Amino acid sequence: MNEMMRQSLPDYQIQTPDPWAALPVNAESREKLWSKSRTFVGDVWFRFRSKFTSIFGFILIVLVLLFALVGPYFATFTYSEQNLDFVNTPPVFRAINCSGGYFYITDKLKVLEIDAQGHLVGKVESIAEDYEKKQVTLSYQGGEIIMDYSQSPYTMLDENGERIEEAKHIWNRTYLLGSDNLGRDMLARLMFGARVSLLVAVVAALTNLVIGVLFGSISAYCGGMVDAVMMRIVDVINTVPLTLYVILIMVVLDAGLLSIILALGTVYWVNMARVVRGEILSLKERDFVLASRTLGSSTATILFRHLIPNAMGPILVTLTMLIPSAIFMEAFLSFIGLGLTAPLASLGTMCNDALATLRTSPYQLFEPALLICILMFGFNFVGDGLRDALDPKLKK
Amino acid sequence: MEKQYMLEVKNLVKHFPVSGNKHAVVHAVEDVSFRVEKGKIFGLVGESGCGKSTCARTIIRIYQPTAGNIIVDGEDVSYKKNRELQALRRKMQMIFQDPYASLNARMTVHDIIAEPLRAHKVASSRQEVSERVYDMLDKVGLSHEHANRYAHEFSGGQRQRIGVARALVIEPEIVICDEPISALDVSIQAQVVNLLKDFQYERGLTYLFIAHDLSMVRYVSDEIGVMYLGQLVEICAAAEIYEHPLHPYTKGLLAAIPIPVPKLARQKVVSSIEGDIPSPISPPPGCHFHTRCPYAKPICREQEPELRDMGGGHQVACHLY
Amino acid sequence: MAMETERKDAAAILSVEHLSTSFFTSNGRVNAVRDVSFSLRQGEMLGIVGESGSGKTVSSLSILQLLGGSGRITDGKIIFDGTDLVSAPKKQLRNVRGARIAMVFQDPMSSLNPLMPVGKQIGEMIKTHQPKIKADELRSEVLRLLGLVHIPEPEKRYHSYPHEFSGGMRQRVMIAIALACKPDVLIADEPTTALDVTIQDQILKLLRSLRDEFQTSVIFITHDLGVVAELCSRVIVMYGGKIMEEALVDDLYENPAHPYTMGLLASVPNVAQDKQKRLQSIPGSPPDMIRPPAGCPFAPRCSYARNICGAQEAPRIQVGESHFSRCWLWVPEAPAENNPFRKAGGEA
Repeated sequence: MNEMMRQSLPDYQIQTPDPWAALPVNAESREKLWSKSRTFVGDVWFRFRSKFTSIFGFILIVLVLLFALVGPYFATFTYSEQNLDFVNTPPVFRAINCSGGYFYITDKLKVLEIDAQGHLVGKVESIAEDYEKKQVTLSYQGGEIIMDYSQSPYTMLDENGERIEEAKHIWNRTYLLGSDNLGRDMLARLMFGARVSLLVAVVAALTNLVIGVLFGSISAYCGGMVDAVMMRIVDVINTVPLTLYVILIMVVLDAGLLSIILALGTVYWVNMARVVRGEILSLKERDFVLASRTLGSSTATILFRHLIPNAMGPILVTLTMLIPSAIFMEAFLSFIGLGLTAPLASLGTMCNDALATLRTSPYQLFEPALLICILMFGFNFVGDGLRDALDPKLKK
Repeated sequence: MEKQYMLEVKNLVKHFPVSGNKHAVVHAVEDVSFRVEKGKIFGLVGESGCGKSTCARTIIRIYQPTAGNIIVDGEDVSYKKNRELQALRRKMQMIFQDPYASLNARMTVHDIIAEPLRAHKVASSRQEVSERVYDMLDKVGLSHEHANRYAHEFSGGQRQRIGVARALVIEPEIVICDEPISALDVSIQAQVVNLLKDFQYERGLTYLFIAHDLSMVRYVSDEIGVMYLGQLVEICAAAEIYEHPLHPYTKGLLAAIPIPVPKLARQKVVSSIEGDIPSPISPPPGCHFHTRCPYAKPICREQEPELRDMGGGHQVACHLY
Repeated sequence: MAMETERKDAAAILSVEHLSTSFFTSNGRVNAVRDVSFSLRQGEMLGIVGESGSGKTVSSLSILQLLGGSGRITDGKIIFDGTDLVSAPKKQLRNVRGARIAMVFQDPMSSLNPLMPVGKQIGEMIKTHQPKIKADELRSEVLRLLGLVHIPEPEKRYHSYPHEFSGGMRQRVMIAIALACKPDVLIADEPTTALDVTIQDQILKLLRSLRDEFQTSVIFITHDLGVVAELCSRVIVMYGGKIMEEALVDDLYENPAHPYTMGLLASVPNVAQDKQKRLQSIPGSPPDMIRPPAGCPFAPRCSYARNICGAQEAPRIQVGESHFSRCWLWVPEAPAENNPFRKAGGEA
C-alpha cells in the first residue's frame, strides 16, 4: 500500500519555512470576522453610490438646495423688487449699436439702453411717434435717435436714415435669467420658488414620517378592530380629492402656502400608512419580533427598535417617491390659482404668470418648468437608487 | 424526595382558524400532556407539521392556548395577559430555529444580548449591562470586539450562539429550544449542542428540546416525547426509545433515519412508513396514525387511543398494547 | 465488490476538469469553486458532500451553467459526451439541459409552475425535446412517468395543480420531469433536505430503484452523511470550494483520510454515543469565500494543522485504491507526531 502510494505521489514542493511546526491558531482567529464592518447606512450608501443615476439625482437635489438656500445671499434683487421700466427683459438681448450706445427694443416697443457688458442702463424716453412711417423718435444723450418698427425685426435707424440690420447678442447682466412681466428678477423668484417647493418637500416628508409611519405601524401591530377602524379612516381620507381639501381649507383660511401645507399635511401620509402597515404586518410574524416578545420587551421597544427600523427600506423609498409628487401637487395647485398669492413666488405661480406673455417671452415659462423637472428627476433618481440599494433581493 | 416539576403541560389544545372557512380549524396541538422535571431535558420529536413548534410557542405564551393548562414552577400561566406574563418571561426563555431570522439585522450584537436585561431592568447601570453582555460573549466563545458588529455579519453557528447568549443572559430557569440546530451545518451542530449542555450542567437548567433529528435528541435528552399530528403518541426515557420503541410511528421514524455507516445502511431491512401526513385541518378519526400504520386494526379507525403507562414511565397511545 | 470494480472501469460520462467558478458581488469576488476536478462514471451514483458555502451546489450548477447574472465560470472544462460544455454554443447547451443532463432541486414548489396542472408540466418537458409526439402518446407517457415515481392514482393526479400535492409528492413530480427525456445524467441537489425523514426515506428508495432500473448516472448533492451512506457508491467531500477527499463510500466511512471528514463523522452522535461525554465538535466557522485562507481552507479549524497547511495548498495524494485526499499530513516528509495518518499506517 505504501509502495503504491509512493509511486503515485504527485509533484509538490515544500516551500514553507519550518513546515511541520504546528500552525499557530487560537480561538480568536477562528472566530475572526474578515468582512469589513459596515453599518446598515454604510452598506446602503455603498450600493447607492455605485449607481450613476442615483448619484446624479443626489447631486441635482444638492444643487437645487444650494440654489434655493444660499443663492439669495448672492442675488442682487429680492423676489418682490419691481422695476416697471425693465419689464420682460430676456436673458439674451438682441442689441443694436447706434450712436455709440447699445439698445434693446422690447415687445412693447420700448427702447432700453444697455452697456457693452449687458447691464441695463435705463429706458430711453420717446419724444414723438410717426404712426404712418411706424417710427419713434427718442431722445438720447442730448441728441435724437429713431426706432423703426415697420418691419420685423424692429431696429434703429442710423444717421443716414438707413435701417441697422446688424445686431449683437449680449447676455443680460442685470437680470441673469431675464425679468418677468412686472420687472422682477426671474433668478431671485426662481430661488424663492425652489424654496417653496423644498419646503413642501420637507413638510410632505415630515408628515409622512411622523403621521404615516406611526399610523401604519400602530394599526398593523395592534391588529383586529383597531386595525380595521384605522384603515377605514385611511380609506375615507383617500376618497376625497386633494383639490377639494385645499378649497375647503381655503374657505376657512386664506389662500396661500399655509393652506397648501395644511392640505398636504392632513392627507399626504395615506399612502405611507398603507405601505408601512403592509410591511409591519409581515415583519411582526418574523422570528426576531417573536423573540423580542418572549424576552419580555415592551410594545414601544418592539415598535421602535425592531419593527420600524426593519421597515426603513420601504419607508425611505416611498418617501422619496412621494416627495416629487407633493412638489408637483403644490406646483399644480399654485398653477390653477389655489396656491400662493403675489408677490410670493412658487414655481407653479411663475408658470401661470408666464402664460400671458408666452409668445413673446417663452423663457418665463421655460425656466420654472425646467426647475420643476430637475427637482422631479432628482428625487425620482434618488428614490430609484434607494430602492435598488435597499432591496436585498436585488443585492448581487 | 418527591420529584419537582419545572413545567407541567395539562391537556393543552391549540387550534388556529382557517382563513376563508369559518367552520374549519387547524388542530395544531390536541390534548397534549407532559411534565418536565427540574434540571432535566425533555426532548420533543416529530415531523414538520406535527405541532411541536406550536406547542413550544403556546407554552411560552406567544400564542394563547385554546384549552388546557401550562404550569411553570407551580404557577399556572395559561391565561395570563401581557403585563402578568413578565414574570414568566424572566423564568422561561426560548432559542429559535433560524439563526438568520431570529436576530434583528439592524441591531448590534451588544444591543441584541442586552435587550432582555433592559426589558426586565435587571442591571442597575449601563456599565453593568455591558459587563453582563461581555461576560455572556465570553461564555459562548465570542470575543468582545464582536459586540459592536451587526448580526448579519456572522456565520450561522456564531449567530445561533448569539441567540443562546440572548436567551441565557437573564438567567432563566427553563429554556425552550425550538429546533436550535436543524438550520446549522453538521460541523457546527455539535458546537451548539455542547454549549447548551455546558450551560445546563453549570446552572442546573431545565430544557424543552425540540428537534426532528432523533439521534441528536436521544443524545441530548433525558426523556423523549414523540408527536404525531398534534398528539403525543409515546413518552419514554431517552435510552428506551432506541431499545424498545413501542408505537408503530416511533418505529417507522427510527427506521427512516439514514445511518451514517454504509454497511449497516445497506443491510437496513425495516420498512419505513408509507404515505403522507394527513392534513391537520381534518385529522383522521380514531388513532391519527391509522392511515399509515402497518398494524392498524378496525378499532384504530374508530376509537382514539389514550396515553397509557406501560411501566417504568414508558407511556404509549396505541391500541396494540 | 465485483460490481464496484466494474463501475470503476466504466468510462466517465461526465468529467469536470479544473473548474473554477466565481460570483462577482458588490462586496467583492466570491470564489465559490476553486480548481475542482472529478468525473462521473456510467451508471454510478456519486455523492458530493459539503456544508453550506462549500461549493457543492455551485459545482453542479456550473455543469449546466445555471449560475444567474453574477456568476461566471472563470476556468476549467466540463466534458460531456466528448464536447466541452463551457465553450459550447448556447444552442448545444440547451439541447443538453433537461434532455441529457437533468436536475432536481431542493425546493420543488419554486421549480414547478403553480398555474399549470402537473401532467401538463411533465408533458411540456417531453414536447420540448420531442416536438412531434402525438397527444395520446404524450398522455400515456406522462401517466407512465407518474406511475414510475409511485404517485398513487396517476389518472386522477394528472390534472392536479402543484399546491394540491404534499412536499414529497411534488419532489416525485420533479423527478418525473427530470426523467421525462431519459437523461444520461441526473443531478439531484439536496432533493430531500426540505422533506421529513419518513418522506426522505421514501424518495431515497425511489431514487435507488430508478438507478437500478435505468442505470442512470446520478450526482447526489447533500450535506447529510447518512443519506450518502445509504445511497451512493463514491463520495466527494468538499470544503471551502475545494475537494478535500474522494473515496468509495465504505473507505470514506471506515478510513477517513482527511481531518475534515474525520471531524464531520465524529460530530454526528451515533446510537451508542455516551451521553455523559461531550460531542466532538469542529471549532470555528466555515471560511469567508471572499477571502479564502491561503493553503488548505480547513487549516484554521484543523487540530492537526502545520505551518505548511496555512501557506501551501496540499497536493492530491492517492492514499488507497480510488481514495484521494488533499492533506499535507499524507506526504512522506510529514512527521508522525500528532499525525492521525501515520499511526495507522506505521512509520513510512
